[in-house]
Amino acid sequence: MTNPLPSEASINKLVGHKFPGGSYTIAHWENFLLTECTGAEPLPDNLAHPVALFHVPILGAGTSIAEMFSLGQAEPGASIRIESYDWEFYKPLQEERPYDVSGVITSAERRQGRKRTFDRIQFQFDLHDEESDDPVARTIVTWLYRRSTQ
Amino acid sequence: MKIEPGYSIPPWDMPSVLAERMRTMAAILRDPYPVHWDRGVVEKMGLGRRTINQGPLGLSYMVNMLHEWMGCGCIKRLRMTFLLYVFEGDHVVARGRVNAIREENGERLADCDIWLDRINGEDRPLEGSATVLLNE
Repeated sequence: MTNPLPSEASINKLVGHKFPGGSYTIAHWENFLLTECTGAEPLPDNLAHPVALFHVPILGAGTSIAEMFSLGQAEPGASIRIESYDWEFYKPLQEERPYDVSGVITSAERRQGRKRTFDRIQFQFDLHDEESDDPVARTIVTWLYRRSTQ
Repeated sequence: MKIEPGYSIPPWDMPSVLAERMRTMAAILRDPYPVHWDRGVVEKMGLGRRTINQGPLGLSYMVNMLHEWMGCGCIKRLRMTFLLYVFEGDHVVARGRVNAIREENGERLADCDIWLDRINGEDRPLEGSATVLLNE
């Protein structure tokens, strides 16, 4: 099954798109379950598992995985692939500590692969400690939106 | 033991990637992508009837390796490229090697190559790099 190819202009114009921003606090239950999913024991001293740096920025910035799919006009089914993550931790993440989160699309461009066309979209999220305003982490997420038409 | 370039980080073993954990993870992430919880969708992709592990979960095995090596809170930076899918039932092992040691703001840091080996497929689904605070 093929789907209409989104215009290249509609992809390019995503650059600079800012998410609403907001606050996120990692709950103890959430960290407990998340850590268990990784196969590790609970972390000491209220530390959150660093893998929280995937969903905390997305939800904290006031968006969702579903909206990120939709912005890139993802096709139904399994059309998204992760290209890369680049995560910087200025401080370890902690449970029950509110973080201010901002997010923006920093790159959106069409690429031609060997077999198919895809759009490469890059999102950047920044976390600050809500109390001190100190930077806590930055994450850059790059996804590939594969197209069924050339 | 003093850590030097060339040092191999003790590996971290995940004997079997579990579908149940992918489902819990999908709920926590609010992840609507069905390949993580619907075997039928994966089958339609021609990839067999095993769900596909979330990228962050694959990365987390390397986090666990680094934590067991240098303690929780040791990770300064992670860069990860996703080359192949990891499926439920896969046996994967996180591995790493120290490339360089440097000082920054009074801290001793190790720049490392890290990767995930699939034992049952003899391939490497994930690879990347990490900067780790050395707590020697």
